[in-house]
Amino acid sequence: MAGADRVSSAETSGLRLQRLLAMVPWIAAQDGPTLEDVCTRFAITRDQLAADLDVVWLVGLPPYTPDALIEVVQEGDRVWIHFADVFANPQRLTPDQAVALLSAGASVLALPGTDPDGALGRGVAKLASVLGVDADQVLDIDLGGADPQTLELLRQAVREGRRVHLDYYSYGRDTRTERDVDPYLIHAEDGALYLLGHCHQAGAERRFRVDRIASAQLLDERAGPRRTEGSATGFQPDDDDPRVTLRLAPEARWVVETYPVEEVVELPDGRLDVTLAIAAEPWLARLLVNLGPQAEVREAPEALREAGRRAAARILARYR
Amino acid sequence: MSASKLERLLNLTALLLDTPRPLSADQIRQQLEVYPSEQAAFRRAFERDKDELRAMGIPLQVVKVPGTMPAVDGYRIPRDEYALRDPGLEVGELAALHLAASAVQVEGMPATAGLLKLGGLVSDGSLDLGVHVAPLPADPNLARLFGAVAGRTPVTLTYRGETRTVDPYRLEFQRGRWYLTGYDHRREDERNYRLDRIEGDVELTGGPSFTPPSTAVPGRALGAWELGAEEPVRATLKIEGPQARWAVQHLGPDHVRSEEDGAVVVELPVTNRAAFRSFVLSFLDHAEVLDPPELREEVVRWLEPIA
Repeated sequence: MAGADRVSSAETSGLRLQRLLAMVPWIAAQDGPTLEDVCTRFAITRDQLAADLDVVWLVGLPPYTPDALIEVVQEGDRVWIHFADVFANPQRLTPDQAVALLSAGASVLALPGTDPDGALGRGVAKLASVLGVDADQVLDIDLGGADPQTLELLRQAVREGRRVHLDYYSYGRDTRTERDVDPYLIHAEDGALYLLGHCHQAGAERRFRVDRIASAQLLDERAGPRRTEGSATGFQPDDDDPRVTLRLAPEARWVVETYPVEEVVELPDGRLDVTLAIAAEPWLARLLVNLGPQAEVREAPEALREAGRRAAARILARYR
Repeated sequence: MSASKLERLLNLTALLLDTPRPLSADQIRQQLEVYPSEQAAFRRAFERDKDELRAMGIPLQVVKVPGTMPAVDGYRIPRDEYALRDPGLEVGELAALHLAASAVQVEGMPATAGLLKLGGLVSDGSLDLGVHVAPLPADPNLARLFGAVAGRTPVTLTYRGETRTVDPYRLEFQRGRWYLTGYDHRREDERNYRLDRIEGDVELTGGPSFTPPSTAVPGRALGAWELGAEEPVRATLKIEGPQARWAVQHLGPDHVRSEEDGAVVVELPVTNRAAFRSFVLSFLDHAEVLDPPELREEVVRWLEPIA
């Protein structure tokens, strides 16, 4: 986070007043912190600090005679603030700030492998206590599950730029595969943790859900540099993937928002004809049984035309 | 913000924090000696300053000045509502909060100003968590609901076209969305509400505060099948094949009834039948609803038209 940039660029909007109401109590409570420490903590330059301190010694209480004003003493590279009792405490956190800080803390604590009794856990508990809540009880954040050892191994691999060998369950293909991957980054999105990397078997960038990695090994090979630029995304259709056109009931519109559809034709009665690239039959079968009576296959290559029917029949066989 | 305005706002804050009695606008003008003497210009400047302080979350109180007739508005900032009690954070704890706030942001809710109040931005090493976390989405009701959860204040909210009174127990973030768990007064039971489906603003009822039950189970990911307001039913589900292991890890050991030969039987509380059906069908023919019969029947009814 570029804290310094953010604070200074929004300087006009009252953030300077907020900063002073936080900085004055902090300096007053210390015994002469260095100017450098103050600047780092409050994300300001030496010039900004000098300008702020120039204002502080004009502040106080009626009758605003020198003895009723805050005293600022600067000696060498240290600064003291005296007679600022009226500003002895910083301002309370606003609900926004409380939510932002507790959510951030709870998110990181929820990552598999984080020590709940470490510095963050203790910090969150103290913060929650002054807010009058029990952090565990009032806020629950789940960024995605993973085996803590697997996640730690992947973090290490990304940090050290090392190749990994994965035993991976491919959900789309409903099979287990072994792959060597050059990891680029781990990211959390929509409730799941993903590893993004170059897959040597596929010869392309792929995204792997960390909770579907059955086992991972750190290899001695160095990972190559990232081959393609671009954001971490899921399934990217290939040109030669087969295309299927489905007719969707209006309730199934979420498909359009959830998957990369290539063409959408809205019919007068609210139904939709959507065309999707299909990487693997189990993926299409899952979509079709999930949609049930809300979808009908309009166009598909011979091999995929019956994918939904076959899957539905196999599932129903278990219930009879 | 100009230095003179900053000085004026700081002095105004100090004056209103320090005064034991509410001060009228005229008293404030006389004491501070920085406002224009012309009445209309003073009023405009004073109104702007009050707005600025309130925008920063400063609890500026307006009460009648005692002994005035007709009543005159008086102003003060109650110290106990203004001041943050010192949480006593160690440097390492503050640094850990800073790292967390750098890695995870809630859209539109910057944490920086909050960190400054707690002692500033300190770090002990890298600000890289090793996991990139997509910003948590903002929701217009999020801050108010958190206030209600923290204050144990019942709220009214409109959900699926119905206005409900709810004791808000807990906020949850699951699969990229915010949810509220609370006690629904009319249904006399716990329910979950998706924040982005709450219609309009949540209102605090001002009713007596509630005591959350000690039976609440925090720290557990809710399944999509629990995120509904339907009559609860317990479902047993058998999962086989490569995903059995994943299911145990994902659902947690508390739900597992038995595990043998690579198959697992789990029991799940269902308050959203459509989401449960989707979950079951995502396993294709590697899963089967064992019980209750009505949920088995629902899978059959759903698939028959396409089989």
